[in-house]
Amino acid sequence: MSTVLDLHSHSEASEDSRAPLEAYLNWLKLRRAERPVDGIVLTEHRQFNRDADYRALEDKFGVMVLKASEVETDYGHILVFGVTDEMTRRFDFANVRLRAQELIDEVARMGGVAIPCHPGRPNVGLCEHYATKPPLENVVAVEVLNGGSRKGEDERSEELVARYGYGAIGGSDSHLVSLIGLCATRFDADVRSMEDLVRELKNGVYEPVDFRPRRKPVPHAVAVQSK
Amino acid sequence: MRYEDVNIGDALGPSEMYLSKDQVRTYAKAMGMLAPRFTDDELARKEGLPGMITPGNMSLAILGKLVTDWIGESGARMTRLGVTYRQPVLPDHTIALNGFVTHKNDADRSVEMDIWIESDEAERLVIGTATVQFPA
Amino acid sequence: MAVNYDPAIIGRVFETTDPVVVQAEDIRKFNQTIGDTNPRHNDPEADGGMVAPPSFAVTFRNGRHFFEHVPRFGKAGFDAGKDVEFVAPIRPGDAITLKSHVKEIYEKTGRSGSMVFVVIRSTLTNQNGQVVAHVDHRFMNRP
Repeated sequence: MSTVLDLHSHSEASEDSRAPLEAYLNWLKLRRAERPVDGIVLTEHRQFNRDADYRALEDKFGVMVLKASEVETDYGHILVFGVTDEMTRRFDFANVRLRAQELIDEVARMGGVAIPCHPGRPNVGLCEHYATKPPLENVVAVEVLNGGSRKGEDERSEELVARYGYGAIGGSDSHLVSLIGLCATRFDADVRSMEDLVRELKNGVYEPVDFRPRRKPVPHAVAVQSK
Repeated sequence: MRYEDVNIGDALGPSEMYLSKDQVRTYAKAMGMLAPRFTDDELARKEGLPGMITPGNMSLAILGKLVTDWIGESGARMTRLGVTYRQPVLPDHTIALNGFVTHKNDADRSVEMDIWIESDEAERLVIGTATVQFPA
Repeated sequence: MAVNYDPAIIGRVFETTDPVVVQAEDIRKFNQTIGDTNPRHNDPEADGGMVAPPSFAVTFRNGRHFFEHVPRFGKAGFDAGKDVEFVAPIRPGDAITLKSHVKEIYEKTGRSGSMVFVVIRSTLTNQNGQVVAHVDHRFMNRP
C-alpha cells in the first residue's frame, strides 16, 4: 500500500505563518478528494518542537502528523527528518549559517536524513551554490516540487536531479491553511512513523505528486505530474 | 450573513481586477508616496525593478476591500489583517483576488481567512490572512 | 552569529507624531483609488455614521524622524509586509496620533540572501486617547 505525505509545511510555530495545525488538518479533511494525502510533516523554520504531541488531532482528523525541521545552511535551506536530542545538542537549529556538509553527514550518522529543499531557488537553494562551490556529498534526495516556487525554480531543481541522480520529493511549503497538501510525495511503501519515513527516504521508492488544479495554461507550466 | 452561515472553505472571490498605471499613480500621489518607483517606469527600472510597482499599502488596501466587500452589510468587522509582499505587483496587468475561510472560533464568533493577490501568470504576489469578528 | 543591537531599544517609544485630523474627503479619496463604494465608508448619512475602511489605518504618515530610529543592518530596508490589528473604527473628525517603537528584530535567509527583519509597531490613538489600531511594519534589511 502506498502512502502520500506532504513533506514540507509551516504552522503558526513558524514566525512567518499563522496557520494552526488543526486548521490544516480540517482543510485536508474537507479537500480529501482533491488532495488525497495521508499525512503532513511540520517543518518549522529553525526549530524542532520536541515535546509537541499531536495524537489527539491525528485521531480527530485521520491525518498523520510528523515533526521535522527546516534549517538554514551555507548551501541553502535543508529539511531534517528524524530529529533526535543528539542532533539538537550538536547543532543550533536557530543558526542561519549551519554547515551543510557537516549537517548532512552528522544527521545521517545519528539516524536521520537531511534533504535540501527548493534547490532551484536563488540563494537559499543548492543550484546557485553548486555554481561556485563543490557539490555536497551524501545527498540522497532534494525537493523538486515546492508549492512556493516561482516560475523556473522547480525546473532548475529537476535539472539538478537529472545531473546528480538525486531522489526527488515534493512538499507544499505551505504557510497558509488553504495551500496545505497541494504538493506532496508518494511512497510505494507504508509510512506510519518518522522511522518509516527516514528509512523510505534513504532506501525506498518515491516520487513527487502535484495536486494543484490546472490553471490557465502558461508557457512554463510545471511539468512534474503524478503517474 | 450571520456567523452561523459561514462555513470553512467558503470562498472570497476570485475576482479579477485590471490595475492601471494611472490608478497606481493616483493612489501614490493621494497618499503622498512620492517615490518614483510608484509613478514612473523609467526611474523604477533604474532601481532594478521591472517597471513601476504598486505600493505595498495599496495591495494591502485592495485585499482589505476584498474582506470588507465579503462582510457586506452583515455587521461583522475586520479586526486583523496581515500581509506579506512576496513579489512586486506590476500595474498594467490583471490581478486576481482570492480568499478562503479557513477556520472559525465559536468562543468569540470570529472567522479566519486566507487572502492573496495572484498575477495573470498564476503566481501569488501578496499573501495574507485576516480575522473577521461577527456581532454576538 | 547573532544580529547585534542594543536590546534596550526594544519596546521604547521613539516617536510620537502630532495629531492628524481625518477629513471625510481624505477617506473618500482613499476609497476612490481602490474602488471602495461601500456607503458605510463614504456616506456621512450611513447607518451608524461614516467610518473609514479598516485599511485606512495604514495611510497615516510616520513622523519626519521615523527612519532615523529604525535600526539598519546593511543596505536600505524594504517593506516586506504589515500586520494590522484594527481595534476601533476611525471616523471623520478623529484626530489620530502615532506612537512608534521597535517590536522585534530577527534574522533569516531567503531568496535575496541573508535578511534581518526589523518590526516596528505604530500604535494609533484618537483624540479620546482610545487606541484605534496597531500597525506592525516588517522591514527587511540585506546586510
